[in-house]
Amino acid sequence: MSDGTHTVDVRGLTKVFGAGEGAVEALRGVDLQVARGEFVAVMGPSGSGKSTLLYLIGALDAPTAGTVSIDGVDLSRMDDNRLALLRRQRIGFVFQAFNLLDVLTAEENVSLPLVIDGVPEAEAARRAAESLGLVGMSGRRHHLPGQLSGGEQQRLAIARALVTRPLLLLADEPTGNLDSASSDQIMRLLCRLAEEHGQTILMVTHDARWAAAANRVIRLRDGRVADEQTLPPARAYPQVVRELESQL
Amino acid sequence: MRSAVARRIAERSTKLSFKHALLGLLAEGPLHGYELKTAYETELVPAGNLNFGQVYTTLERLNRDGLVSFEKVNQAERPDKKVYKLTSHGRRELKDWLTRPSTIDLDQRNSTFLKLMLARRLGGVDLMGVLAAERRACFERLHEVTRAKAQAQQAGAPVQSVLLLDLAVLTLEAFLKWLDRCEAALKQETDK
Repeated sequence: MSDGTHTVDVRGLTKVFGAGEGAVEALRGVDLQVARGEFVAVMGPSGSGKSTLLYLIGALDAPTAGTVSIDGVDLSRMDDNRLALLRRQRIGFVFQAFNLLDVLTAEENVSLPLVIDGVPEAEAARRAAESLGLVGMSGRRHHLPGQLSGGEQQRLAIARALVTRPLLLLADEPTGNLDSASSDQIMRLLCRLAEEHGQTILMVTHDARWAAAANRVIRLRDGRVADEQTLPPARAYPQVVRELESQL
Repeated sequence: MRSAVARRIAERSTKLSFKHALLGLLAEGPLHGYELKTAYETELVPAGNLNFGQVYTTLERLNRDGLVSFEKVNQAERPDKKVYKLTSHGRRELKDWLTRPSTIDLDQRNSTFLKLMLARRLGGVDLMGVLAAERRACFERLHEVTRAKAQAQQAGAPVQSVLLLDLAVLTLEAFLKWLDRCEAALKQETDK
């Protein structure tokens, strides 16, 4: 943003589930800012609050205390209609489960969010094609999800999340159901979206390998930020390979 | 002395694999010393830097053990050169070595381990701080190698480069998991 507004600005975020003795504090005062075009990974063991954080940022749930602002607008000031619109149009979600509709083709799955919002058919088809191209799935546009591999289904889910040209892409363990090779591909895709298309991405993972693909890593522990690390720009691969070979 | 034994083991293990590297290169056809050095450095281990002494002493030993033989070739206005080739004994040794499982090298002399153990004993050192710094450094390295691997795949790098990066990625990942273990165990200890 030219005025310095963060795409995501989280202040003192607290979430308590339940009440009384059985209450569980999932988040205990988390601060987090994500700049436009940044690719941030949130890491932590299960139960550290990372998915809760993602859901609150995605306006899928409301905090007990603290604020979430998306593109400078405090979510608590939005009514349900505006929140629904925000979720549909400004935020793209990618989950571990792909949540694709089996009876629709790849292209129909991707254009669905636009069709629901009343975007004219031709325009929706054009943008779906563009989105499928971004994830390298143009050749599969007439396939049904059942005819695709796990990695392809996740790419399709990413294409669907991108079709609304969201301000923010939220990914919750996007490689959780994939083998190592497909996971590699998904991570390369996310890196490319951030680097070449300036897509802001917030990804939750418990896996260090995928977190290492991001520009910044936040570690949560017991509902708090335990550590935050900005990762330096990496050197070109031939240099790294040469160095590794010299150790053989 | 520990160091003498350790040195002998280290010498043997590196020489052994180097010996087999030379046998492997000769399996493709006769070569002289300089060609062997070049082939090793350009094809087998691209960044490996060999000195001639190492090549020639190894070839002498291989010849003494009957694994290679050589033929002297006359050169005009230059000293004769020796062209080495694999003997049938050498070919058998190479084949045996290729199919014999390696002893996995577990070098436990790790400076992170040493730092943690010393920080644990010494007062006035923030053990968890040391651990966090080690983790960050490891993570930066993982980031670099992960990015390099993505680049390598995108650029259609040769399979040996990608596999080497994979080895580094998985090693670093295992090291990070081990650091998590350290954190849990050492925290429990200090909390007591």
